[in-house]
Amino acid sequence: MVLITVPKPPKSAYNPDRPVTSLLKSHVEHMREAESKLPLKYRSEFYAKAVRTEGEAAEYIRDVTEAILEAHADAARRRRAPKHKRKLEIAAAADEGKDTAHKPRAKRAKKSVGTKRRKR
Amino acid sequence: MPTGLDQLQHIVVLMMENRSFDHMLGSLKAVNPAIDGYVDGDPFTNPDTNGNPVKPQPLAEFQAQLQPDPDHHFPAVDLQIFGGDTSPNRKPNMQGFVKSYFVQQGDVSHSQKIMYYFKQSDLPVLTTLALEFAVFNRWFASIPGPTICNRAFAHYGTSFGRVDLNPIYPPETIKSIYTRLINANPKHTAKVYYYDTTSSTMEVANLLQNQPELFGTYSQFLDDCKKGTLPEYSFIEPNYSDHEGDSGEEIANDQHPDHNIQAGEAFIAAVYQAIKNNPTLWQNTALLITYDEHGAIFDHVPPPSCVKDIFTADGNATGTGVPFQFDRLGVRVPAVLVSPWIPKGTVVNRVFDHASIPATITKFFLGDAWPRSPREISADVFIEPKSANVDPARNLLSLAAMRADCPDFNV
Repeated sequence: MVLITVPKPPKSAYNPDRPVTSLLKSHVEHMREAESKLPLKYRSEFYAKAVRTEGEAAEYIRDVTEAILEAHADAARRRRAPKHKRKLEIAAAADEGKDTAHKPRAKRAKKSVGTKRRKR
Repeated sequence: MPTGLDQLQHIVVLMMENRSFDHMLGSLKAVNPAIDGYVDGDPFTNPDTNGNPVKPQPLAEFQAQLQPDPDHHFPAVDLQIFGGDTSPNRKPNMQGFVKSYFVQQGDVSHSQKIMYYFKQSDLPVLTTLALEFAVFNRWFASIPGPTICNRAFAHYGTSFGRVDLNPIYPPETIKSIYTRLINANPKHTAKVYYYDTTSSTMEVANLLQNQPELFGTYSQFLDDCKKGTLPEYSFIEPNYSDHEGDSGEEIANDQHPDHNIQAGEAFIAAVYQAIKNNPTLWQNTALLITYDEHGAIFDHVPPPSCVKDIFTADGNATGTGVPFQFDRLGVRVPAVLVSPWIPKGTVVNRVFDHASIPATITKFFLGDAWPRSPREISADVFIEPKSANVDPARNLLSLAAMRADCPDFNV
């Protein structure tokens, strides 16, 4: 059986400061549109129109993808919860909504576009 | 029924980015003349803007050559295919690649790089797989345009009239191949594996927002291969960006210019090896590796006309002033089918495009009952449906016994 060596790319191949291609720009735009449909508490602090590099696009895409997944997971949890508990949760969420309408999601730290992602 | 087909339980599709057939596999004509590539001395050239003929040359580089990203939107591809001919009865002549790339920088010498291709030794993974298994001489992008609408053909069998990069919101009438599988009775299994949440999926507008349960990550794919829990149909998306991942720097491996080609080679090898390293999976899985579109890079084979879709893109949408009825395919792309039941050196000359993907999966697992686009209904299939009367001329998984001589890659 033949074993074929697969050369690895050089470290210099990595460049998150590379300007975004039209494909990544459109990917960011698709994410922006998707994010606009999320409830406020799931939205990021990124200004999608300011994305210029691959690294910035990547951060934004990750944030929105995870927000979509989180929103669906939260909805699934609410669906599974017993009915009386759901009524309490809905009431609590309504109260919370009045206070947190414009605050970012709790788990994401405030950062500007272009800063390095901190390790989780 | 042939044994390989009888045992087939899983089909995996890996779709890479933006490289043409001649650019990636053209060199293989020198190894196997049945492969419709390019060898020095072939008559194909392209005129540059001074009118001088530019011939293809094996000078492609792994990175930092095709900058800026060659224009592969609909109007540019129209120029590439028709060479600037806008007459009503025009025929594709594949004479506009250099002219098209010249538009971006106005540099004659730079524009000629669009005619460069890789030597066989540059691409040990893709070329080995193409020579060892089945390579398709006539697999085309579904439309002469960019990524999003071509990938839509792989998911839905149509792009719903889109020829651009805008989000696609499909009507209820035509379901994705994944929805068809999971809603069937009996239920089937399907997954889209994206590289990680930072790379995510290109299918945002519909599938990610509405059916996130369809998605998994590449590391989950590797785990599913190890455990033998791969779904019946899997679609894999590569990493679309250089970014910091959970275990450090992740280099984009989609091979979209200007991402590093070798990173993509390593990714293809890893996907292949993940399947092969599980002996049970290896014998009952077929892996299709293809590219969404040609990335504006040269190819010498004119795309054929095809059955019209039920949608039309008007002249504003195409950007050419002329409507498009989805009655011509895009430029040729690499496509290789891998299975230990395929004879070494298989070359397939039938015409395929990305609508062949949902066409194949639907017919193989579900039969003909689902509403599908005219493009998908007319698309050829790359794996025959299981039946007692399989046409031996069409079945690629034709060996009576599984091969024991398939290569391994050290990734």
